Amino acid sequence: MKKKLQKSALWLLLLLSCNYLPVIAQSSHLVQGTIIDKTTGEPFPGVTIIEKGTSKGTVTDMDGKFQLDVSSSQSTLVISFIGFLQQEIPLVGRSTIEVELDEDISDLNEVVVIGYQTVKKKDLTGATAVVGTDKTSRVTAASLGESLQGLAPGVSIRNGGAPGQGAQVEIRGVASFINSNPLYVIDGMIADANPTMNTNDIESIQILKDASAAAIYGSRAANGVIIITTKQGAEGTPKVSVSAKFGIQQLPPGYNMMNNVQFAEMQRTQFNNSGLTPPASVGVNFDPAINTNWYDEGTRLGNAQDYNVTLSGGSKNSNYLISGSYFENKGVLIGNDFKRAALRINTKNTKGRVTFGENLVFTNSITNSPGTGNPFYDMPLHLPVIPVQDSRFITGANPDGWGKGTTDAVTYAWNPVAVNAINSYRSNFAKVVGNAFLDVDILDGLVYRFNAGAELSFDHNKRMRRAGEWHFNQPAAPTNIIEDRSLFSSFLLEHTLNYTKTFGKHNLSAVVGHSQQHTKRDVLSAGRTDLQSFDGRYLNTVSSATGDPIADGFIPVNYTISGFLGRANYTYDERYLLTVTGRYDSDSRFGADNRSRFFPSVAGGWRISEEAFFNSSLVSDLKFRASYGELGIVTVGSWDYIGFLNSNPRAIFGPDEQAYVGATQARLANPNLGWERRSSHNIGFDAGFFDDKLTISAEYYNSLSEDVLVNLPIAWYLGNLGGEPAVNAASIRNRGIELAATYRSIKNAFKWDVSANMTTIRNRVMDVGNLGEGIDYIQTGITRSQIGRPLGEWYVLKTDGLFQSQEEINNYRNTNGQIIQPFARPGDVKFLDINDDGEINQEDRTFVGSPWPTLQTGAQFNASYKNFSFNMQWIGVFGHTLMNGVRRDIDSYQNTNFRADISPWSPDNTNTTDPRIGVSVGDPGLIDNARLESDRWLEDGSYIRLRNLEVAYNFNSSLLQRWNVSNSIVFVSGQNLLTFTKYSGLDPDVTGNGILQRGFDNGNWPASRIYSVGLQFEF
Amino acid sequence: MKKLLKYILMAASFGVMSCDPDLDIINPNQPTIEVFWQNATDAEQGVNSIYSTFARPGMSRWMPIIYVTRSDEGYSGSPWSDLANAMGGFIQPDYNFGPVIDVWVDCYVGIFRANQVIDNVPGIEMNNDLKNRLLGEAYFLRAYFYYNLALLWGNVPMMLESSKPTDLPPTTLQADVWAQVELDLARAVDGLPAVYANSRDLGRVTKGAAQALLAKTYMQQGKYTEAEGPLNWLVTGEGASIYNLMPNYRDNFLITSENNQESVFEWQFTINPTEVTDNDVDTPNHNYGTSISQFMAPPGIGWADAEARTWAIQEFLKEQTTQGERDPRLSASYLFANTDERGPQFTMVYGQTYAQRYGMENNRAYFRKFLNDHWRNEEGYRSPNNYRVVRYADVLLMYAEVLNATGRTAQAYAHVDRVRARVGLAPLSQTQPGLGQTAFLEQLKHERLLELSGEGHRWADLVRWGDLGSQIANRDPGFNNFVIGRHEFLPIPQRDLDINKNLSQNPGW
Repeated sequence: MKKKLQKSALWLLLLLSCNYLPVIAQSSHLVQGTIIDKTTGEPFPGVTIIEKGTSKGTVTDMDGKFQLDVSSSQSTLVISFIGFLQQEIPLVGRSTIEVELDEDISDLNEVVVIGYQTVKKKDLTGATAVVGTDKTSRVTAASLGESLQGLAPGVSIRNGGAPGQGAQVEIRGVASFINSNPLYVIDGMIADANPTMNTNDIESIQILKDASAAAIYGSRAANGVIIITTKQGAEGTPKVSVSAKFGIQQLPPGYNMMNNVQFAEMQRTQFNNSGLTPPASVGVNFDPAINTNWYDEGTRLGNAQDYNVTLSGGSKNSNYLISGSYFENKGVLIGNDFKRAALRINTKNTKGRVTFGENLVFTNSITNSPGTGNPFYDMPLHLPVIPVQDSRFITGANPDGWGKGTTDAVTYAWNPVAVNAINSYRSNFAKVVGNAFLDVDILDGLVYRFNAGAELSFDHNKRMRRAGEWHFNQPAAPTNIIEDRSLFSSFLLEHTLNYTKTFGKHNLSAVVGHSQQHTKRDVLSAGRTDLQSFDGRYLNTVSSATGDPIADGFIPVNYTISGFLGRANYTYDERYLLTVTGRYDSDSRFGADNRSRFFPSVAGGWRISEEAFFNSSLVSDLKFRASYGELGIVTVGSWDYIGFLNSNPRAIFGPDEQAYVGATQARLANPNLGWERRSSHNIGFDAGFFDDKLTISAEYYNSLSEDVLVNLPIAWYLGNLGGEPAVNAASIRNRGIELAATYRSIKNAFKWDVSANMTTIRNRVMDVGNLGEGIDYIQTGITRSQIGRPLGEWYVLKTDGLFQSQEEINNYRNTNGQIIQPFARPGDVKFLDINDDGEINQEDRTFVGSPWPTLQTGAQFNASYKNFSFNMQWIGVFGHTLMNGVRRDIDSYQNTNFRADISPWSPDNTNTTDPRIGVSVGDPGLIDNARLESDRWLEDGSYIRLRNLEVAYNFNSSLLQRWNVSNSIVFVSGQNLLTFTKYSGLDPDVTGNGILQRGFDNGNWPASRIYSVGLQFEF
Repeated sequence: MKKLLKYILMAASFGVMSCDPDLDIINPNQPTIEVFWQNATDAEQGVNSIYSTFARPGMSRWMPIIYVTRSDEGYSGSPWSDLANAMGGFIQPDYNFGPVIDVWVDCYVGIFRANQVIDNVPGIEMNNDLKNRLLGEAYFLRAYFYYNLALLWGNVPMMLESSKPTDLPPTTLQADVWAQVELDLARAVDGLPAVYANSRDLGRVTKGAAQALLAKTYMQQGKYTEAEGPLNWLVTGEGASIYNLMPNYRDNFLITSENNQESVFEWQFTINPTEVTDNDVDTPNHNYGTSISQFMAPPGIGWADAEARTWAIQEFLKEQTTQGERDPRLSASYLFANTDERGPQFTMVYGQTYAQRYGMENNRAYFRKFLNDHWRNEEGYRSPNNYRVVRYADVLLMYAEVLNATGRTAQAYAHVDRVRARVGLAPLSQTQPGLGQTAFLEQLKHERLLELSGEGHRWADLVRWGDLGSQIANRDPGFNNFVIGRHEFLPIPQRDLDINKNLSQNPGW
């Protein structure tokens, strides 16, 4: 459809300007002809016909006819139209020809942005994934990362879930303990594509995965590069396109917790089991009228709205695009929402040899949340016998009487409704991101470009704490307001020279240049205690508060990167491809001796299908590729290489208790910090079958990270504070296979295509540096990263069911006959004494599962018939283990509500996996049952999810066309409708707790179900 | 055309060169190590930072809680079961257990800070008296941190110079740690003034504090003879004119009478109402107070993570004052049903009666000395109530113990009587004259319990007296789990053992 539009638009243009292409009059042989669209059988206007090897040419008229004077009756005509297969027709004496043009379903001629240059897809030598916005724009996503889930092999996405929260994007596995985020390049500006970016502005997304593709970004590219090109205006009359989408969001079902009666009964059982008197709240004072369902109280039906208006157009020498957009997401948790308004202006003008333009976006986004607490823990944990609000809770510190734990109904869970009423945190990011460029066409094939990019973010965070209490035994604290404002600025200056030349069968395109970027953040904050309120309304400025002031100001970030870059792409006869890239970077974040480094790469390709000997009716295209290169990544702060005096300590002296400044070196520094380096190999092939109806790409990669920064867990006896000094000491290898295949059938009225991709990542720690004799691992909470094993594997105690009798406990002994769990009682969890020392302790921990999937897949199916179209996206993630932190708290049974389906062990109920229930104080058996570091809480995280389902209808009616309304589409879609998983938590798509506890579900915000309707049209 | 190209290339390369940036970017937030340690201000700020360690949670909260719960006077009934087990239950959940580790870490944070002063201040050109005083403070504070490490962990790595990431010291046995503490305290005694001329220095450690800690160090090793010297200075020497008991026992625990004449060593706290963290290096806007009151206050107010064993209350009732009244130290020491002698309906707990809060039957008791119920009806993480580490009453009882241990029991009576007299108890020389050495020590144990309960001395006392063991489980059932040869010391953090193979774990762990 896009191609049809192009076709008619181009024809329109030709009508307007008849002298579009000069018809050369010097004649020796006149050729006439007709061009037909093979699919429709209709005449094809606007097709370009050129005599090969000359500049003589013309285009077909409204009836698909043309006339051209050529130099000889033996000349060859080149017939082309964008999106159709180019044909070369030898005249062999003919003066009349008829040619059928066939639609080009292959994307081999698609232009791919590879950083400072573009190449045709068929000439790619590195591992580059191109993701069409026709796929990403299907889903409702707050950020680009989220919209990419499942669409590109080698790219792992874990959703953040909360309104305005970004997704965790990892390309080809995690190869750093500190930073696994790719580099984003937006229209040539290196800037983060976080949720402040409107995904509707994006025209194309290219993901540079291997060292060759990413090498031009050298010292920042080791985690891969995502290049985003925003939409541009096209030549033609002004076009307005409008889209609107509205969807409702639904929290996936939470844990099924007990109601008041069930809870009271279970808690009585619990206390009776321990020989204790049950609290009066579940006994004599039990109030059947109080039955709080905390999920109901803390959640709501969310929604997402997305509106875009774009005005674009242009002439031969200039084009423009202005788009305005508004996105709003009301989160499924009360008090959480995100709003973003954006205005984009992209223009480009050519005058003579000079082209200049800019891509600029202004965005303002606001995130609201209580700013503290995690209701995904509190909602299941809080007791149903405590009301949300009640007069009996009213005290001076809790004037609104928010319900909370008491000495009689002990829970330390937070009341999410109270948290939201009392606390607020509002984040406002006003940003300008963009670049301006100047191209000078110096001479044939040589272009100089000056590119200046900027990202300015005016950030304003405002936190308020009003009067009230939201949990039991809450420490007193004054009401307060804190506001901080910071300016983030990043300026990029680049000079590049591009050279493109074809001589004979040789084709060279090269770029050299210099790039420099300065990034800084400047923070100023102020606050005051003791808010004033009148009639329940709070004054919300710093000065309106009456208590003690706070002021703070610092520059946490300030660094400069400077680098020389160069790349040459050489192809011979479209068969042999060679790319050589180098970048020499210097970075102020390292000491003078470690500041600069060269990052080289090389890649080659062989398009065997272009060889004369290659003759296959089945295989229409076949290219082999191989690359090797070295990349870097900075994982340090601006001044980590220097030791500083910390002047924050305070000593209190004197009768008036004054705070006197103290100064000390708090943090030990390592002056020898440097880049993390990554050397990676990539081999792959791209193949097309059946005239490229079926395309398959496969890659094998093997990338070794060295000098990986380890926050060396230095001994506590060093007295170090403020973060452990980092050392470039570790090494991590990632290997894997990526496969992507697409089959397209577009010749019939029923058009469809199906794509699938899969990724394997085998992650291994190769070295952890010198952590002491015999230490070949890094321990992080309950995970361990050990040499020869994946990063952050679960390292916990193994359980083996429940003890069924005292006899079994007494007989559970090590080889020396020691009773292993002397504190246990029947119904307690049995742990394995791995080291056979007769007791269960940390020495018995062992590796139980990895948080990294063994297989990640995505599949998309598109179909269209007449005016209907259909899209379906699936993702499947397999083979990883999650730690269900929320279930651990619930199933610890202490001061919490209980799951409605528990069946605790008792002498009368032995056929169960739930251990006995009781009060754990003074009962080590129960305490052991709830141990965090146990495989009891590990679960298979594999899942298959119907990511998106969309049905659209295109009103291509003549009535609308008479009003110049075209391309009008309405659609309904459902996102995350189905998930197949054994995981018992809310969502197996867990972002986790940093890189080293990636699968730790610590109340992860689950992906919502979204039901949307939308409409779009153009005029 | 070639000319044009040349010009443009020249312009471009000029552009590249001219924008070659300066990659030496100065940190505007903090001075580098190289520019510091130049003058007296730097030296004083270096010393101040050591004091700042006292407000860190490992010191201001967990260390006192470990001392009271690990001894037989307290325990933890926390719903945080790991804490309940670790604190006084002698069930160590994990060798890296957070609250215990916090103490270890903060002791070493203080040591690192002290070592920086000890390494750098001698080279500064400045007034010599001030330099000696500041070094004296650093030596005292380093000794104090090692004193606590020796008491809690016994055999520990010894850091005596500014830390480097590569330091892998071996384990130093407890006896050698004590020796280092003695050495540092001797230097502190030399450098520190008996009193500070300027009142702005109120709260800094003094010669008297150093003498008292030195005496404690000797006594813990059974070196009673050596302990006599420093105690002489305090009780019969120069210290006698500096220190005295407060007439009102309770004044030692009120915010209105901090740094009083009885105070020998006291952690200074004040409220910073705007603070955002307990970590004193994150921002200047950190907690200048202690959260111990929030953690020790009774339920409904605080976390009640440490509470009192009630057997001690009976000890208070064994004797009445000469006026026939209850020992006033009981109500100063505990919040329980009978803090007010008339019972739970009269005992006030933060604005409500004990009965209103916990009913008539509740018999739990909470340590009161460092709470703020004398001036407000709530707690929080920012208690300004100074922690009194060494009181003169403690010194007097130590002196009595030393005299008794060195065969001068008769002379010891007077110092006990002085402590008793302050709270209205009849002199021991009247009620129990002529006790033998052993009997006198037994009586002294009783005296120390009543005078110092909840102040964190009991653990050291039990260690010194050799009273640790399951025989005291009748007072504190936690001692049922006490294994002799193991639980005298906490386990060395596994993490440090993992990193440094030169370290060895304590016996039994």
